[in-house]
Amino acid sequence: MNGLPWLSIIVFAPMIAALIMLVIPAQSRGTVRILAVLSTVVSFAGSVHVALSYNTAIGGVQLRETMPLLPSLGISWNLGVDGWGVSLLLLTSLIIFAGVFATWTLEDRDKDFYILLLVLVAGVFGVFVSLDLFLFFLFYEIAVLPMYLLIAIWGSSKGVKEGGPLAFIWKRFDIGGREYAAMKLTLMLLLGSAFILAGMFAMVESSGIGSFDMEELQRVGVPRDVQMWVFPALWLGFGTLAGVFPFHTWSPDGHASAPTAVSMLHAGVLMKLGAFGVMRVGMVLCPEATEVWAPVVGAVAVINIVYGALGAASQTDLKYIAAYSSVSHMGVVMLGAATLSVDGWNGAVYQMFAHGLMTGLIFALVGIVYGRAHNREIFQMGGFAKAMPGVAVFFTLAGLSSLGMPAFAGFIAEFLVFLGAWSSGHVVWAVAGIVGAWITAVYVLRAARAIFWGEGPPERYSHLSDAKGVEWVALVLLGGSLILFGSWPRFLLDYIDVGTAQHLLSIGGGQ
Amino acid sequence: MPLAALTILLPLASFAILAVFWPIRHTGRPAAWLSTLTAVASFVIALLVLRDVAPMGAPPELWTMPWLVHGGRVIAEVGFRVDAVSASMLVVVTCVAACVQVYSLGYMSHEPKPALGRYYAWHSLFIVAMAGLVLAPNLLQLVAGWELVGLCSYLLIGFYWAKPSAGKAAVKAVWVTRFADIGLMCGLVLLYVETGGFAWEGFSWANPGASELVAALLFLGVMGKSAQVPLHVWLPDAMEGPTPVSALLHAATMVAAGVFLVVRCWPLFEGAETLLVAMSWIGAITALVAAITASVQTDIKKVLAYSTCSQLGYMVAGLGSGEMLGGYFHLTTHAFFKALLFLGAGSVIHAVHSNEMGEMGGLRKKIPLTAALFAIGTFALAGFPGLSGFFSKDLLLEEVAHGGQWGPLAILLFVAGLTPFYMMRVYCLVFLGEPSEKSNHAHESPLVMLAPMALLAIPAAVLGFGAGSFGELLGHEYHFAVTPVGAAATVAGLLGLGLGYAKFGMGQLASLELPGLAAFVRSGPIDNAWRLCWERGLLPVARNVGWFDRYVVDGLVNFSGWITLEAGDRIRRLQTGSAHDYLYAAALGAVLIAVAGVVGGVLA
Repeated sequence: MNGLPWLSIIVFAPMIAALIMLVIPAQSRGTVRILAVLSTVVSFAGSVHVALSYNTAIGGVQLRETMPLLPSLGISWNLGVDGWGVSLLLLTSLIIFAGVFATWTLEDRDKDFYILLLVLVAGVFGVFVSLDLFLFFLFYEIAVLPMYLLIAIWGSSKGVKEGGPLAFIWKRFDIGGREYAAMKLTLMLLLGSAFILAGMFAMVESSGIGSFDMEELQRVGVPRDVQMWVFPALWLGFGTLAGVFPFHTWSPDGHASAPTAVSMLHAGVLMKLGAFGVMRVGMVLCPEATEVWAPVVGAVAVINIVYGALGAASQTDLKYIAAYSSVSHMGVVMLGAATLSVDGWNGAVYQMFAHGLMTGLIFALVGIVYGRAHNREIFQMGGFAKAMPGVAVFFTLAGLSSLGMPAFAGFIAEFLVFLGAWSSGHVVWAVAGIVGAWITAVYVLRAARAIFWGEGPPERYSHLSDAKGVEWVALVLLGGSLILFGSWPRFLLDYIDVGTAQHLLSIGGGQ
Repeated sequence: MPLAALTILLPLASFAILAVFWPIRHTGRPAAWLSTLTAVASFVIALLVLRDVAPMGAPPELWTMPWLVHGGRVIAEVGFRVDAVSASMLVVVTCVAACVQVYSLGYMSHEPKPALGRYYAWHSLFIVAMAGLVLAPNLLQLVAGWELVGLCSYLLIGFYWAKPSAGKAAVKAVWVTRFADIGLMCGLVLLYVETGGFAWEGFSWANPGASELVAALLFLGVMGKSAQVPLHVWLPDAMEGPTPVSALLHAATMVAAGVFLVVRCWPLFEGAETLLVAMSWIGAITALVAAITASVQTDIKKVLAYSTCSQLGYMVAGLGSGEMLGGYFHLTTHAFFKALLFLGAGSVIHAVHSNEMGEMGGLRKKIPLTAALFAIGTFALAGFPGLSGFFSKDLLLEEVAHGGQWGPLAILLFVAGLTPFYMMRVYCLVFLGEPSEKSNHAHESPLVMLAPMALLAIPAAVLGFGAGSFGELLGHEYHFAVTPVGAAATVAGLLGLGLGYAKFGMGQLASLELPGLAAFVRSGPIDNAWRLCWERGLLPVARNVGWFDRYVVDGLVNFSGWITLEAGDRIRRLQTGSAHDYLYAAALGAVLIAVAGVVGGVLA
């Protein structure tokens, strides 16, 4: 271990850049971008450094940084990473690095945009390295809240047709509008946060340890009767962010309205915070309740997979397809988690990583297509491959990973989850998951054909152009990673595996 | 690392260079040559590998490294397994691939440079995936290769992506084959759950019933990949790809991967009695349905596609007999003569710029070399005595008879007559009779296209005489002998040829209109059934889910917001701002408290 507090550096680099941006004039666009890139490079380099210095042979929590913050309340600056943390730090830094480049051409209030984006990502980094439950929650909220402004200010609107049994709702809400989407997303996630907060305090109080130290909490243990209601509270609280059915409906509208980099981060990383929370806090700290509740978690996850995939197949709007696809893929994460097995948990975390890269890439591409065509209806497009061959190639790459093509990261993840589900005796879950992967192939290829294949684009798309300049950085980085981690899973699996080994110990039912 | 590894690594290098360095890809011909050279080199290496390989039964040459490692153990390895099965298949794959790539230098020469580079990049990827599949040391790698050849198929069918029909065909191929792969994937996972690994031999089953279930699930995948009825519907559409692609992927190698999987995992299938019977029937029905459909097509590539389908049915039925040699040998000979036929068809299409046999005719004089080579393929497929197809069909039918499966045998014998009939029809319509307008302008293809055809014609003609050594390699005794079944098949074949010539020798296309049936078959009843499943099945379900999510699930979320706001509106009215109202309320409150106190006191 060397002298530099790398984890704090990773967390603070974007935060400091955001603070500096506050005091520089909004006109200095170049400076804003240089700052954004610099801070994400620092975080990226830090994450790589952390990954390289983490010793997988030893495992456990490493690179600790501890400093008391509020000793009277038992709150301390307590950071450290386990195998899962290392993987997700890498994911986050990859996505934000790509995200900064993907929004390079933004012109409207770009300084404010980057400030909020960087604050958000600092929160995400913080969650993945926190060992203190209070810090965990604090960072979680820092990550969730900027989303409201990011969508409400920079988002896009598209009305949704009035109808259904509750049509009177339309009188009060502009459904499909960006303010509506931002509000719904924030309110739903905050309601989830209330559950988390309640569960968190209950765990700390009932265990009687007098601090928010997660490791201590795990050692001492939460009383069984408290676990029994805390776990479902945490599952629903964090689960809302992970898109767990039926609390997923913020996601389609939110992702459809959000600007490119925000969708990338939100689908790519933030939804993983939810799943990470369910596993790292819910399951690890409430092991007894987890064993009782796992069948419910798994059954709902299966609904997520199939329902989300069918939802995506029903959509003709590109962003909604991508959003429902995320709901479906997050179901794979939750399914893996519910198996409580080595295969399943490794698969779940691998899926967080693989889906993060894939969906980050997809939303970057959707942003490029939408930015040029100003249309999201896939059946009003066609033949775009002629004008944007590069975009077509990367869209195909992302789609292939999404439908579980071997040699892409998505395959490793889904395959491990299916193995875990079947070998833990849940044959129906596994088969439903495999069927879900097929439905994914149906809607992904249909969308790719509608957008990129076919005769030349209609007249009004004569101005289309391929990805340009720094946009390529995002595409190549994410697309390349999908193939790298799909061809040689050990790069990542070695980390995830030690994390799983450490956390699964707490659950008696594990292998 | 064994020598065979180079058959993957060389094309992989070619693919990586062409995929990553786009300026090289965009040079067109140099890119094509790079890919072709690696393909030819792979073929030469494969021959060397086959020369040195030990017969079946000897321990295979294995080279593996851990790939998927977790929970303290190796879940799966990747590597190469060289034995009689993989070495022989490797030669077939690389031979046809090399021939097709050389042929494409001529056939695709009019493509724009970047498109040509793209074409060859995918061809290189195909060899990587297919050789990876063939040399797989375990079922997981085999399945990975399986999916990747499917990807190549998607990309190459959709090579003319601007053409709407090509796009539809490419997507359909993946939808259908991956639908079947649901079974394959379940089988793969179950195999792991039951045996703790992905090997197809060298372990004992804790639960004997599971063995047959695994095999049956895997076979569902085989039905998709090897185009068995009713999952064959993607294969005829796949003819939207360039003709050399049809020869390589959709006739000789990729579609045969399903049959290869059964051969490769033979220890799993061998004892699965019920499954084997089902395979015989499915194969025989496929052979029959596809052969009938082939007889009424007017597009030369469609005939060959249905013929491929029919022959794959033959192979599957052969494997269902419980012996694997016949099916596998038929795979081998079929790869050569069907690739030859497709390349021949390509040469014809190249000459007349049409796929429709009605616009051909009399080409024998215009393109004599193509006609001669096509004839070799036709007669080999027809099972003309002495040619390769004769021996492999004989062996296959012999095994089916030996297995006592008389129903499938009868169907297969009928197909043995039908096949020469429709092939004779093709030959007559294309090469004999009066030249059509388009035929008059036809020119013989260049040497670069004829040479690979000639090379394929050699095994297509004489490979049958190698049946003995092929059997020896795979550890099965085989000597050709005249048997009643073989004689019946030969008679049926000659009869079919004769009938075909009698009917079409004069080049009359319209004369096959069996009223009703032909129209029914051509309308594609099975295709229509699948289309209904999509239009009336999955799509409406998806739309209902979409509606439900928007208007019910999300409706409830919005409703909770709505009710909050409504409640707020109502309660807000209490806040009137008038001091009188507040005083009345305070007074009312005081009274209520007093009453509550009194009542409480009384009750206490």
